Amino acid sequence: MNRRFIISFAGLFALLVILALLNLSMGSVRVEPGTILGIITGSEADPVSTGIIKEIRIPRLIGALILGGALSVSGFLLQTFFHNPLAGPFVLGISSGAKLAVALAMTFSLSAGFLLNSWVMIGAAFLGAMTVMLFILAVSGVAKSSAVLIICGIMAGYFCSALTELAVTFADDQNIVNLHSWSQGSFSGISRANTGVIVPAVLICMVFVFIISKPMGAYQLGEAYARSSGVSITGLKIALIILSGLLSAVVAAFAGPVSFVGIAVPQLMKGIFKTEKPVFMIPASFLGGAVFCLFCDLLARLVFAPVELSISVVTSIFGAPVVIWVMLGRKRAKEGMDNGR
Amino acid sequence: MEDNTVLSLDGLCVGYGKKQVVSDISFSIKAGETVCLIGPNGAGKSTILKTIAKMIPPVSGKAVLLGRDIRHIKETELARNVSCMFPQVPDTLYLTCSDIVENGRYPYTGMFGRLSGSDRDKVNESMEATGVTELAGRYFHTLSDGQKQRVMFARAICQEPKLLLLDEPASFLDIRYKLELLELIRKFSKERGTAVLFSMHEITLAGRTSDRMIAIKNGKVDSMGRPEDMLDPGHIEELYDLKKGSLKDGMLNGIF
Repeated sequence: MNRRFIISFAGLFALLVILALLNLSMGSVRVEPGTILGIITGSEADPVSTGIIKEIRIPRLIGALILGGALSVSGFLLQTFFHNPLAGPFVLGISSGAKLAVALAMTFSLSAGFLLNSWVMIGAAFLGAMTVMLFILAVSGVAKSSAVLIICGIMAGYFCSALTELAVTFADDQNIVNLHSWSQGSFSGISRANTGVIVPAVLICMVFVFIISKPMGAYQLGEAYARSSGVSITGLKIALIILSGLLSAVVAAFAGPVSFVGIAVPQLMKGIFKTEKPVFMIPASFLGGAVFCLFCDLLARLVFAPVELSISVVTSIFGAPVVIWVMLGRKRAKEGMDNGR
Repeated sequence: MEDNTVLSLDGLCVGYGKKQVVSDISFSIKAGETVCLIGPNGAGKSTILKTIAKMIPPVSGKAVLLGRDIRHIKETELARNVSCMFPQVPDTLYLTCSDIVENGRYPYTGMFGRLSGSDRDKVNESMEATGVTELAGRYFHTLSDGQKQRVMFARAICQEPKLLLLDEPASFLDIRYKLELLELIRKFSKERGTAVLFSMHEITLAGRTSDRMIAIKNGKVDSMGRPEDMLDPGHIEELYDLKKGSLKDGMLNGIF
């Protein structure tokens, strides 16, 4: 671990703590940091602020933090898989596929008069994600061009989003509001019960992601070199697909579509840490994604309060320029102007 | 079969699926021996190398590495005995040369790929042997093609192979770097007793740096022998379907 890594990790962690506090404290009702501490330790008894913090802001904070990290890692896995810096769950339509499956499952269950269990929602999202993923894999098998891959992904995304809108439009009146804000992407609907599912689901995935960090590192040199150093390529590819699909499915099930985090954050982290090694990039992407989503969610809640922006509005405003900037930077670096550490 | 045989091919047929590209290949390579595969484009030199590296399964016949059929050798174990170099170099952005060379320790490291002290020694030793020590901290993509190939060679020897498979290892290099790399490979092979099998277009260059040459043509082994016999103009004309008499002694160096 060199100094750059230590400083970058420390910096990200500090940002995470600061943003977490701001997210808990700011909003329509202001809660002072001292009171927050009191509520968490149990010494504060004011029922209104306790309710706000425990039932609304902490679940939302955990949601944004864990799902932001999950989305960013999912993007890093896809970029590794496709050897393409522009790959990500949103761009490839995987998020939208997951969203469509969840929307169908939700409208069906609502019209039948029962609520879906969180795990069933993740399952539906995973099926949707995998369906689009299989389509994308078929495309990448036929057309070797990475531009074609990205375009087909974007088209699959539009297609699924259109079908989702259709499903939402025909949903029962009273449920439209809920479904609508979710289908636009938001961390607002996350309940305490949801976090009890989100946290273990993402953590389990992350354990497996760490387990495949070594073969991922070899795979970055290309399939031929990876194989010649002893990587079982098929196993690695299946693991990458299932894990990236699961991570984006969890996000889609609870927060709907969140754009740009999957591409922008890993690219940004590569630029900050100056490495691509998965052992560092996995924790860095997770932490970076968490920080980015906490920041964007804070703005989504506060800028036009009491009206809330959908999360993708904010992530796009900050994420899209980052992608362009990173791509131009990447081009410069490729031309050899960025010489060594 | 002698004790120091590293690789022996016995009626090996290589190809993709059922389609045979080269059939009935039989030869063996001893420790410290450098053998070059030559032949027209598309003759199947790469296919042979890929089959021995277990990247594609053999159509029939067998390849025996250190007395064992490669089909029964697990990936990691194979990687501890065989390392490869391909014509394409990796396309990376933020990986340094030492990151790339360290990858050669893959079959030896534990679950998260952490290098032990002796792994690190091997990395440094390999970089020194190929003269890339001073490039260690540089980003791989900023190197010249010649430097990149030397780093890839350092990665390959860092794997401590008994057999090195090199597919057109010097294809994008100019003549000086080609010679340099080939000399490096030959020196390494003699010093460490590593068997080397490589393919190359420039036949005279290949001849200067190999102990034996094997010509592949029309889906089979056309001929094999010492470089001086294989590079006889008459033989080359026949192998590459050149017009009779278009090659005269001495012109060979100018053309290839």
